[in-house]
Amino acid sequence: MTGTHEPDAGEALTKVMDAVDLETFFICRSESEAKSLMLSLLAQMGFARGDVVFVQHEGPGARVRGRAYVHPAGDMPPYFGSEGGEH
Amino acid sequence: MNLSGCKRRILLAPLDPVHDVGLKIIRRGLDEAGHDTTLLPPDLAVHEIAERAVREPFDCIMLSRTIGYGAEELLAEFTKMMETAGLKGRVKIAVGGMGIRPELVEGLGFDRGFGPGTTVEEALAFVENRPARTERVRLHKTKPDLTAGYTYRFLNGRIARLLDDIAQDALRWAERRTTAAVERAQIRELAGVGVLTGNLRAEYAALCDPVIRDYYEKAIIPAAVRMVEEDEVAGLRRFCRTADGNAKGISLRHTRSKPAVLIQYGTGSLFLDASHMKVAEAWGADGVIHFDPAWGARTEGLLEGHVNYEGDGTVITAQNLRLLRSFLGEDTLFQVRAHRGLNTPETVVIAGQIGADLTKINIAYGSLGAGTDPERLAVDGIAALKYAAAYGLPYDIVTNEELCGVPAFKAFAGMLIVCRLGLLLGGRPILQPLFCHSPEAMITRKMEDNYIDFNAAKVQALRQIVDAPVWPGAPIGFMTHSEDRVQSAMTTSLHAALGASLEVDAVTIASSDEAYSRGPITAQARVDTLRAVKESFRFLGRGKVEPTAHAIDLAEELTAGIEAVLEQVREAGFVEALYRGMLGSPEDGAYPGRAGKGTVKHYVF
Repeated sequence: MTGTHEPDAGEALTKVMDAVDLETFFICRSESEAKSLMLSLLAQMGFARGDVVFVQHEGPGARVRGRAYVHPAGDMPPYFGSEGGEH
Repeated sequence: MNLSGCKRRILLAPLDPVHDVGLKIIRRGLDEAGHDTTLLPPDLAVHEIAERAVREPFDCIMLSRTIGYGAEELLAEFTKMMETAGLKGRVKIAVGGMGIRPELVEGLGFDRGFGPGTTVEEALAFVENRPARTERVRLHKTKPDLTAGYTYRFLNGRIARLLDDIAQDALRWAERRTTAAVERAQIRELAGVGVLTGNLRAEYAALCDPVIRDYYEKAIIPAAVRMVEEDEVAGLRRFCRTADGNAKGISLRHTRSKPAVLIQYGTGSLFLDASHMKVAEAWGADGVIHFDPAWGARTEGLLEGHVNYEGDGTVITAQNLRLLRSFLGEDTLFQVRAHRGLNTPETVVIAGQIGADLTKINIAYGSLGAGTDPERLAVDGIAALKYAAAYGLPYDIVTNEELCGVPAFKAFAGMLIVCRLGLLLGGRPILQPLFCHSPEAMITRKMEDNYIDFNAAKVQALRQIVDAPVWPGAPIGFMTHSEDRVQSAMTTSLHAALGASLEVDAVTIASSDEAYSRGPITAQARVDTLRAVKESFRFLGRGKVEPTAHAIDLAEELTAGIEAVLEQVREAGFVEALYRGMLGSPEDGAYPGRAGKGTVKHYVF
């Protein structure tokens, strides 16, 4: 990245190697609620096929890690670029 | 004298109650460069620092702030005092530390803001009014020879004699047999690493399963396989070249030279594989292991060309392996697994031809834990051991049949037989004990107290039997990993520390996605674990993780078990012993494989 160009989310996603992980601690009652919250959050961020990699509920809430793979399996990811491999 | 040729007077002052280590380190660098420094104690008020700055003719003032809270107000107050005192513009003022955001403080009137990770050179360059010397010095690693210095002398005479009898008998048995895989390997030897042409292509196709034969004869691409286009390959090459140019390189080791750290890759996609290989290399991995799909291992014959597969494991073709090999640095180990399927000898030939450094062969594991018929894999495995010796390829003998439930003493008996076979054929085997909380350990509570003793006992037992390299795997910490990346990376790093303590030659590590099975491993998961292993080696230095005295008992138990198994195997013969469960039974969880059953051909003399 050079100069003052501010990348938008779409451009940023083209630079993701394979997946975006989202980590947080939800105040919630159960692991299933935490999963639901994470999937909802990922969906609202534009990741339709999110998954919960890890969730553990103790005390006031749950430690959660969600994930969304960004590039279709088998395709050449866009970060290889038409000009090739600028990164 | 310093690079500016001019001695400066510098006032250094921490704006924190206690934290001034960073300033002390910078002060030492400034002193060594010949400057005149004054370091004030922590916990002074801003006006006290300003008063000192006014009293003496400093050229430069360097503040530090570790705590982020209230930093902005304090710093603004300080620059205002400097301005009031008429020092602003005459004395250079900088601030750095964990609580500093450089872009923020420069807006407050500081000449420079230094964030976390600032080097002494950067501070020195600021003081000396020159650009920092920031040239990236690429780390030069040396590719390790994991077998160097080992004599392969057997130290346990009884076990040595048993192994000799078993191995000699197995070699005589194999002399009278061949398979389609052995014949394909012979064609590969003749053809070299390029695509097959003419009669060789036709002969090769005739030795393959229909799905592979259709490719060679009718250009039909198997399901779930995609040929990668030339422009995509060009993109891959450019990506890897750029990655190489950007990599400074990290060494995982601290003060020890061992163990080498290897990672497994095999997403099915050449794009992701190449990406992950470059990440792993840049973040310190010493080597990578090519992981092929189970489908490929159970199919007679190999495809050709640059091939992507829509499943787990990257298809073995000479072109795939050669391409992936070309992406690696000269100092990175490249291992191609050949240990478990119907293409074992051919895979070793290709590995040798494309310049791989290592391969992986275990007849017992491939027969009992990976689905290949024992008779078939014995013939193929022995041919593969010959090729490995001919191409100068060391190979580990992985004992992952323990993951099926085979007790370690049985798995080790199989490993040692293959080791002895390999030595008789001129090879350089590497022993690979499973280094984890295995099913046997869970059931028999061998690891009730800790994860150290049984793993240490395995290494000790092997070392009391033969002077050979040891490379725990695969991967270390298997079955202790969870989907939590912190726990997973920590588990790996602790096992790596144990491996380092036992002075093993290499370890294969997992990513922190090891236990996550609903998607491919990610680059960030690889980085997690590599960083964790680096940290464990830094923590350990030349120190040690010590097993308890219980490890000695466990090692003796293992050795006695190995000897008892070898006695039985000598009576039955190696291949028959595999069928009869002597090296792992259905009760243990091992089943003689069925792939390739009935395909061994007998020479008629």
